[in-house]
Amino acid sequence: MMRRTRFLLFAVLTPLSSTLAVVSATAVFAGEKPSDSRPPWFEERASSAGVDVPHRNRTFDNPYAEIMQGYTALGASAAVADFDGDGLPDLYVTDSSQEGRNRLWRNQGDFTFQDVAGKAGVARLNDARNASADALWFDYDNDARPDLFVVRFGHSLLFRNRGDGTFQDVTRKAGLDDRQNAICAIAFDYDRDGWLDLFLGRYFSDVDLFDPDTPRFFPENMETAQNGGGLRLYRNRGDGTFEDATSEAGLASHSGWTLDLGHADFDNDGDDDLYLAADFGTDRFFVNNGDGSFSDRTEEAIGIDTKKGMNVDWGDYDNDGLLDVYVTNITDDYMREGNFLWRNNGDGTFYDVARETETYDTGWGWAGKFLDYDHDGWLDLYVVNGWVSAGQESYVPVIFEMLIREADDQGQMDLSDVRKWPAMGKRSLSGYQKSRLFHNRGGQVFVDQASRHGLDSSRDGRGIAVADFDNDGRLDLFVSNAGAGPHLFRNRRPLGEEAHWIAFELRSPKSNRFAVGAQVRVETGGRTQLRFVDGGNGFASQSSTRIHVGLGSAQQADSVEIRWPSGHRQSLGPLPADRLYRVTEGQPLEGEVGSAQDVPPDSQAGLLRQGPLDRPDPPNHGRPAHRRHITQYRPAGPEAGRGLGVIGASVVEVPLGSKSPLEWLPAQMLLRSDHFDLSRPVNRQVGKRERLR
Amino acid sequence: MLLILLLLMTPAASPPLPAPAAASDAEAAYRQAQQARREGDLEGAMEAFEKAVRAQPDSLRFASEYRMTVIEAEAFDRALAFFEELTAENPESAHAFLNYGYAYVDKIPAAGSITQVLLANNALKHFTRSVEIRPTWIGLYTRGSSYLFWPKIFNRAPLGVADLERAYAMQTEMAKQSYHSRVYVSLGDGYFKTDQPKKARQVWRQGLEEFPSDEALKQRVEASDEELAQLVDSGYDPNVRVSTDLRELWRQEQADKASAPNQEEDRP
Repeated sequence: MMRRTRFLLFAVLTPLSSTLAVVSATAVFAGEKPSDSRPPWFEERASSAGVDVPHRNRTFDNPYAEIMQGYTALGASAAVADFDGDGLPDLYVTDSSQEGRNRLWRNQGDFTFQDVAGKAGVARLNDARNASADALWFDYDNDARPDLFVVRFGHSLLFRNRGDGTFQDVTRKAGLDDRQNAICAIAFDYDRDGWLDLFLGRYFSDVDLFDPDTPRFFPENMETAQNGGGLRLYRNRGDGTFEDATSEAGLASHSGWTLDLGHADFDNDGDDDLYLAADFGTDRFFVNNGDGSFSDRTEEAIGIDTKKGMNVDWGDYDNDGLLDVYVTNITDDYMREGNFLWRNNGDGTFYDVARETETYDTGWGWAGKFLDYDHDGWLDLYVVNGWVSAGQESYVPVIFEMLIREADDQGQMDLSDVRKWPAMGKRSLSGYQKSRLFHNRGGQVFVDQASRHGLDSSRDGRGIAVADFDNDGRLDLFVSNAGAGPHLFRNRRPLGEEAHWIAFELRSPKSNRFAVGAQVRVETGGRTQLRFVDGGNGFASQSSTRIHVGLGSAQQADSVEIRWPSGHRQSLGPLPADRLYRVTEGQPLEGEVGSAQDVPPDSQAGLLRQGPLDRPDPPNHGRPAHRRHITQYRPAGPEAGRGLGVIGASVVEVPLGSKSPLEWLPAQMLLRSDHFDLSRPVNRQVGKRERLR
Repeated sequence: MLLILLLLMTPAASPPLPAPAAASDAEAAYRQAQQARREGDLEGAMEAFEKAVRAQPDSLRFASEYRMTVIEAEAFDRALAFFEELTAENPESAHAFLNYGYAYVDKIPAAGSITQVLLANNALKHFTRSVEIRPTWIGLYTRGSSYLFWPKIFNRAPLGVADLERAYAMQTEMAKQSYHSRVYVSLGDGYFKTDQPKKARQVWRQGLEEFPSDEALKQRVEASDEELAQLVDSGYDPNVRVSTDLRELWRQEQADKASAPNQEEDRP
């Protein structure tokens, strides 16, 4: 179910002393050839990966169904987490139709995925009274396993990860069984008590959308609507339950149409602040007071806007040590809102540099995510766009006519009665818009490279989940599309002299277990890059919590500083590049847990699989109970493509009760040439068995 | 001088204007308003300007200066209320309606994208009423240009082209004025927006021959086909304030007068 509008623009003219804007020609930057004949860096692999299952929009069966149907092209979301602790990022993907199944795509390590949602008990979550809208992984009980929160129009659901591949519905027990009509959720520890708290963005007010008892549940107007669902904060009590702390935290004043939430420590004071993107009205910016409450600083920080905020992602795009915000709005022939790229001024205010940086116009924007896809040390942006791609006829004049009819001379109107809204039928509205890949040129300007790299899809994109799905040291993209199949783009950017990287998995026994909110500063050659672990930022999508930093030509990080959510600071380095490091708060670095440097660049070689062995455990012959794990490698070089399947494998046994392999595998175990010689014949390594502990 | 201007812009037979208040009263109020504005007393300036405009509702000059003060004070709704009343009291004043439309235009950049549409639609209504009362050059140019701001899907650009062609025809019968270059710019833009790029270039070139120092025409003539779409599009962004300051209309008159002080003024 959904609603979303955007419209019109255009204005009037005039002038006798108007100055013509000077149009700058599109700049062509050094190194970016206008007609680059090199192969694209991204490959579409949704089909071969087995995840090419189309999303279906929700339909309704109520007196307003025909109208509501026009606004239901949402609910295609994707969330990444390593739910089974095998070291590989998995995916949860939502569907919205009543009969539709959500998917839990278990990463099999060879860039294929298997749907285990049914077995896990998280598949059939749509029904006559609820429709999936988003999903969020967060470890609410600090047992070091990502739990799953499924955001729904209607009642959302919380599932506890049992650690055996199945989930338990704990919604009621957790105190979350309210009708929230939520469209997004993020989790961060706003009060720094060590437990992740849950923030829900609610779109509609508290109405049964599937059987409404009133027709007055649509936005009252297009620019200042305050009859939406607002925001709800559930504070984690730390005992498996939550309490509604919205009012206590000072967040109850917003009653608009929330579309997305994003958290980050914008002032580097140690606690996370909150940006709220609102449809039909002004976005909100809440500053964390550090005492369990927030202050609404919208007016002074970003001003009051009338746009249609859709997405919030934070990232330090200009490497100045301050986190900036990217918000999508609507830009089309009939409504030129323009996106926001809020540059953090460092004094509690932001300045919109979207026009200057050329990230202003993406169309009807949805998710926009920061990532350094080419490892040059600057955060790029990927943005998906488009509302409804249907018939040739446009819905714009129809909705326009309604607006003009309903508005008085001052533009005031009351549109809350759904019956005033014209049905969309088979018309299109801002459809067939291309996704954009904005390449960051030194923190000054962005250049669209989507077409160059095969990422210019014109499906109605919604969410973007960023993760290194094949653990090859390159960030891949999963894109959820409304009413269409998803995209899974595998990053094949050549790794070499100009594309070094470093990555970190953070774990904390003191803060929340996955260190959501932790900041990492990586210094190379005098330049410092700031990254942080986010708890679900970005519309309809959650990226990996792994910190991934491009280092350009630097072969090491000179120094790394981690500021944990607890406030503890930890310094590391220098650290060799092209490796993944696991860092546990307060503990010395154990060493890298993975390195793609040992895998020949651009080959098919790579980590194939890590995880529990599917075969039954053998008799333990009186030994302590063990669980078996396997690590497999795909063949490289001349071995590739010969059907050998596995070049290296190791089965290790670990005590039952151990969690992720990251908890117990020593650094040398994974992807290290001193452990596996990838140049040796396959059969020398397959089946190798070791006892680790 | 104003009468000269009105004559230039009134080729068709005009209905009689409302009886003006004593010109001296209007001028006195106008001077008082200017003084207040210079002193930063925007409230006082607006009050005095309103008095002047009430005294001469068809005056472009008084109303234009009033609106510029309103923009400075961001008192858009005040101006709308004022012109609503003025047009109700002077239903046959073409320029009162024209300024009513401008008052909506002035508010557009300060409004949200949806309200922009609604304001623009209201502006268009009043421009049309102005043209119906008296089809002046400025009225046709204004309405024609305003049509070009509408999204293509509404197919209003052809209406804009029709108005601008009429404005062009009028100006060929008038003494050459520097601001006539704007019709070349807008008419070319109209052709471009109605998928007639050759005709657009032809008009711009013709305009440039007549007004060789006009930057807007020069940019268009020199732009490549690829650049042109962006160039034209950028001129119709509702978020960028478009000046509705009409001073250029009488600035040239003043200049002409200064350069030929002994020349007798044209009079109707």
